[in-house]
Amino acid sequence: MKKTKLGEFEELVLLTIAALREDAYGLKIKQELEERLREDLSMGSIQSALKRLEEKGFLTSEFGEATQKRGGKRKRIYEITPYAHRTLAELKAIRADLWKSIPKLASSLKTI
Amino acid sequence: MSAFNDIGPPRWPLNILRFFIKKEYLEEIEGDIEEQFYYNIERWPVKKAKRIYAVEVIKLLRPVLLKKLGHSITLPSYPMYRNYFKTSFRGLMRNPLTAFINVFGLSVAIGICLIVYAFMLYDRSIDQFHVNKHEIYLTTFTADREGETQQYGRAPRPLGERLRQDFAQIKNVCRVEEGKVVIKNEDNVFHEQIRYVDPSFLDMFTFPLKWGAPKSLSDLNSIVLSEDMSIKYFGNDNPLGRDILVIFNDTTKKTFKVSGVAATFPKSRDIEFDFLVHFDNTKVADRTYDTDDWSAFLPATFIQVENSVGLQAIEHHLAPYKKLQNEALPDRPLVAFSFEPLTTLHEKASTLHDAIVHDYNVEGRIGMPIIAVFMIVLACFNYINIAIVSASKRLKEIGVRKVIGANRRKVIMQFLSENVVVTSFAAGIGIVLCYFVFLPWFVQFSGWELELPLLHGNLWLFLIALLLFTALVSGLYPALYVSHFEPVKIFRGSLQFGKRNPFTRVFLCVQLILACMTITAGVVFTQNNHFQNNRSWGYDQKHLVYANVPDAPAFDRLHAAMKQQPGILQSAGSADHLGKKISPVLLRQPSHQQYEAGRLAVDANYFETMGLRLIAGRGFQEDSENDRRAFVVNESLVRTLKLKQPLGQQFELNGTPYEIIGIVQDFHSQNFFNEIRPTVFTLAAPGDYRYLSLRVESGAEERAYQALQQQWAKLYPEIPFQGGHQVDTWGTYFHQVNRSETFNKVIATIAVLLASLGLYGLVTLNVSGRIKEFSIRKMLGAGIRSIAAVMLRQYTSLVAVSLLLGAPLSYLFAQAYLDMLFAYPMPLDYTGTAIALIILATIVLSVIATQIRRIVKLRSVEGLKME
Repeated sequence: MKKTKLGEFEELVLLTIAALREDAYGLKIKQELEERLREDLSMGSIQSALKRLEEKGFLTSEFGEATQKRGGKRKRIYEITPYAHRTLAELKAIRADLWKSIPKLASSLKTI
Repeated sequence: MSAFNDIGPPRWPLNILRFFIKKEYLEEIEGDIEEQFYYNIERWPVKKAKRIYAVEVIKLLRPVLLKKLGHSITLPSYPMYRNYFKTSFRGLMRNPLTAFINVFGLSVAIGICLIVYAFMLYDRSIDQFHVNKHEIYLTTFTADREGETQQYGRAPRPLGERLRQDFAQIKNVCRVEEGKVVIKNEDNVFHEQIRYVDPSFLDMFTFPLKWGAPKSLSDLNSIVLSEDMSIKYFGNDNPLGRDILVIFNDTTKKTFKVSGVAATFPKSRDIEFDFLVHFDNTKVADRTYDTDDWSAFLPATFIQVENSVGLQAIEHHLAPYKKLQNEALPDRPLVAFSFEPLTTLHEKASTLHDAIVHDYNVEGRIGMPIIAVFMIVLACFNYINIAIVSASKRLKEIGVRKVIGANRRKVIMQFLSENVVVTSFAAGIGIVLCYFVFLPWFVQFSGWELELPLLHGNLWLFLIALLLFTALVSGLYPALYVSHFEPVKIFRGSLQFGKRNPFTRVFLCVQLILACMTITAGVVFTQNNHFQNNRSWGYDQKHLVYANVPDAPAFDRLHAAMKQQPGILQSAGSADHLGKKISPVLLRQPSHQQYEAGRLAVDANYFETMGLRLIAGRGFQEDSENDRRAFVVNESLVRTLKLKQPLGQQFELNGTPYEIIGIVQDFHSQNFFNEIRPTVFTLAAPGDYRYLSLRVESGAEERAYQALQQQWAKLYPEIPFQGGHQVDTWGTYFHQVNRSETFNKVIATIAVLLASLGLYGLVTLNVSGRIKEFSIRKMLGAGIRSIAAVMLRQYTSLVAVSLLLGAPLSYLFAQAYLDMLFAYPMPLDYTGTAIALIILATIVLSVIATQIRRIVKLRSVEGLKME
């Protein structure tokens, strides 16, 4: 982990992008997250997270196709970098480790 | 899908988005929210979709996504600024005249703004130095008089004492009574105003004492002096413990011990005092003084209440007092009592009748800010015009800057920062000008004791705001204008600089209109002054002297003595006197209608002596018993009461019937600021004579006056003489009128100066732009006449439009100004505006003439060589 800090929301965004693969562009990411989190998000929060993540090197992006619904404007498709993949995996491992230690803790708490 | 084509997202959020969001993100984000919009349209009404769209845009304005404004407008670095200032300083020095015009105009305007600031500060802070100001209230009442509800600052005599007894929440009550007395300390004997107050006066109001203790006022034999009075009677000595004799009237005197001297009063005060004694001394001064008399009034009754909630409780319980008061004076019922807080008392002074506070600043409060705005606008327009002229000489510099990489923003920044420096410089000079020239002049001339506290924080805020305002207003347009030229055009020399610029024309036009208005005001005030000075007083005020005496025996003795004097044509005795004293009375018509009027009780000789002209009926006869029940009235009374048959009309005054036997022409007892009020004359009983009026031969006034004084001093060495020339009864009125005239002339002169400087700048600009054209014309044989014609043609329409717009505006402006100040303004004709137009046209022509002269003197070859 070292210096790089990944916020909780940023982590969720990264995971969503990884899950969406070729379909990972702004609005889609937002809708996907809204559905999973069951709360309304603003485009602003998604976009600022995306830009921050790109700056930190977790994401790369390129323009995708334009549709009529978008008024002829191109999508920007995001993809997570190997570095991001590693970081996510590390995070997951740390969490899993922590989870593993919880039942012991819980039972030891009970005995007190 | 096609249905979506005519329902698009709203435009305005998109514009915001495009303005603020980084360009590289724009396409993606725009696309996303637009897609979302169409997605939402399928689920929600269009209105809601549009609202969501707008909200999303606002929420997109996050630091990460925003354009970095600081980055894209890179401020020039320090060395660059140094370069700017160097070049601009050189530019200024190359044209010291225009530099002087710029800086001088702005300094004068800023100086005037500072004066106005000082004035407003002074006006706002009047009576605000009292520590308890939020708790002190003046008792007032409202009453219907002559069909209007009016508020009076007086209160019935017993009210203060009753309030103190009946309401626990009242912390203090202070009754104030006033009286005219003679005060004597050794050889110093003067007529003075004395205030009888409750001892709480010095607790409620913050008048710290230089010497003595405030508590001493509760001693009946103590007297507290203002600092001025202490110096007047005792010099610089500490007078504590010294005796001072107060002569209330011929038979009543009392020695008081000085127990306190007030420290210097703050300059911005309205409520003040000369002498304070305990309220109960009213009984000493007048044995019949009845503090329980509901039909008599006190000049002021103050109460102190700790919070306004308590005050409301009191206000709800005032009905019993109103009843008492209206029973005592059924003729003049009042509507309600109310309380006016001290904090806003001075502001309301002009609407409060007979109040202890007075408002002399109405004129200034309206006029001064207008003048300040006038001046700053004039100076800014000047600056704009001249800045464009000077910039024309720096076009190459701008070209070079642009070629080596300055963009338009940088050029604008350069000009604005230069401008801030010039304006700051002007502000510095403005402060000095204001402090050492304007302020002393203004204080001396207006009598308002203004000060400009340099350490006052708000002053600097005001100054900075003024500075930024001036710098932006004056600099923005020239900066935008100058910076838009393309370098290629500059170097190719294909610019027709400043020749056809509609804005400079508009600026000049406005400038001329403003100048026209101020000149008109100056001219009209001069005319009005002349008119006021020569206006008839309605009686012959010249060759008249008068004396005011304390009682009837004094009148008889002085009268007898003066009869021996040569040069006296006529003499009259009266209880009241024109210009000095008119008693308010209430007239009752048989129809029970009541009117307020002034009354002068006079003898039979009074009309002839004063030169009052009877226009109908007859005057009084001394020996006629019937005439003791007779009125002579003025025209104003006949007009106000709409009397069809005034002669023989019956009235009732204090229960006695009177009949009108004569009408005199209207006369001004008070100065022309005041309207003539309905007035009646009655025949005075000889025992009531207090004024002796003497009509003297022309040229003998001074001798008669001195004789009066000498005779008086011989008869009553103890009592100072009171009297004077009738022409002086209006005090400082003519001085005041002259003062407004001077003031308006000074303002007009400054305005004309500024406007003509601006004009000079613009004409020079135009001529500079056409110098080659004029040179060619000259070479081809054009004479002075044709050159003048070419130049004049350009300005005729502009000046004509300005003057055509300016004339009616000036006329209306002068009319409003006069009406505001004078009850009897000069009937305004067109001469004032015409004279102003002529003055202005002359100035415009002479400015143009200087440039014609320049062209005529110019050698054509030089002109053609010029770049």
